[in-house]
Amino acid sequence: MTATETIPTERIALTLADMAVVDADVHVNDTPGALAPYCDLPWRLSLQALDGASYPYLQVPGFAPNLRLDPPIPGSHPYRSVDTAAEMRAELSELEIDVGILFPDHMLTFAALPNIDYATALAQAYNRWLMEEWLLKQPGLYGVMLASPQNPEAAAREIERYAKVEKIVGIYLPTAGVNPLWGHRLYDPIMAAADASGLPVCLHSVTLVSPAFPCQLDQFENHFGRQVLSHSFAMMANLTSLIHSGVPARFPNLRVVFTEAGIAWVPYMMWRMDKYFNEYRRMVPFLEKRPSEYIKERMWFATQPIEEPDNPKDLVATIDLLGGPERVLFASDWPHHDFDHPRTIMKLPMPAAAKRQIMGENALALFGISAPVGKL
Amino acid sequence: MVRLGRIEVGVFNVDGEFYALPNICPHQFGPLCAGTVNGTTACSAATDWRFAWVREGEIVTCPWHGIEFDITTGKSLSSPRLRVRTYPVAVADGQVTVTI
Repeated sequence: MTATETIPTERIALTLADMAVVDADVHVNDTPGALAPYCDLPWRLSLQALDGASYPYLQVPGFAPNLRLDPPIPGSHPYRSVDTAAEMRAELSELEIDVGILFPDHMLTFAALPNIDYATALAQAYNRWLMEEWLLKQPGLYGVMLASPQNPEAAAREIERYAKVEKIVGIYLPTAGVNPLWGHRLYDPIMAAADASGLPVCLHSVTLVSPAFPCQLDQFENHFGRQVLSHSFAMMANLTSLIHSGVPARFPNLRVVFTEAGIAWVPYMMWRMDKYFNEYRRMVPFLEKRPSEYIKERMWFATQPIEEPDNPKDLVATIDLLGGPERVLFASDWPHHDFDHPRTIMKLPMPAAAKRQIMGENALALFGISAPVGKL
Repeated sequence: MVRLGRIEVGVFNVDGEFYALPNICPHQFGPLCAGTVNGTTACSAATDWRFAWVREGEIVTCPWHGIEFDITTGKSLSSPRLRVRTYPVAVADGQVTVTI
């Protein structure tokens, strides 16, 4: 027996170097000028006209429509963006992240664009640009392709186009400002194409003052109130929308990922939907089982912005309530203002096997990604 | 509805077959058997994803919170955790006998 074999394995500190680390939500800086060369005419000219203008984050007229009501926060931390694949690779490696799933910055408000033809071209441009400038340029970078809610038929064709492309591992459903919500039958072509492709759909919201749900964010006096409710209310509303129109029953292979809303809202929604399923089952007879069962079988939840209760055991208990570690995907949201370092999950009082699942194994299986070299 | 000591039992006639359930809903102890007896909705690939009306006379709906129960099995239609027992029923010489 060697010296190392005498140490009980549970007493050896688990580190990120010991496991595959997949980050289910990182953001690339998708500026009008960057996308312009990838955009079809005539809309390329519109993007060129926006090129070089200086606008605050997520606030570009005609590109990232938003209504920013707050003054710059006095003395706050600086805004960060990642502008190239090389930067992204280096920064993720610095965070000990092996694989990043790339989402956009400005296209987070995509659903609020009213012009259908422009939105269709812009989605195609984003997907081409993401592939060429990011996914093919560095190892360990995978992407979710943007599906335009403004044009479900075109989005379905775009999904078919990318279904077998190795570096595209999911379908991004723009969630901020989407109206109607994602469960509407209007989007059936997108859900059908996703179901057939095997790619999971990934909902991602952002704080957006918009007439779409969650509306009335303008009534908060400051960004604290808007930020607290925007992402999580959007996810609750869209989860309810997907369930109430039977999307998981009508598309039996579809898998759904909810990003950037934390996780503690999920048990609440499971219990609430199961309760009202008892009373209103006659109105949703396409559901063959309780809403929570669909959630525990085919839905995943990304950690960031992870809740930080005073007692971390409360968070571990919450993970068990929503279906266990297999439902949870680590996400950092790098480089955004409220990103989570991987150690936020690593320090939780959980078994090593659960940490391995959350930090990477779940995402590798869900997105169909091979384990990084030297990991697993 | 019949009372047998402290137990209330609902006796149902579904197309000539008799069933007996306790008159107490497992959800919040409402008077289950006082509820409406009718059918329910269905919607699946088998109905071409259109709403259909099915199982007329086989479903009792608790008057308190609307939870549906299959009279023939005692199971709710919405949750495996909500079900009632079924009592054996025998019919002979025009007499219906419920054994509890």
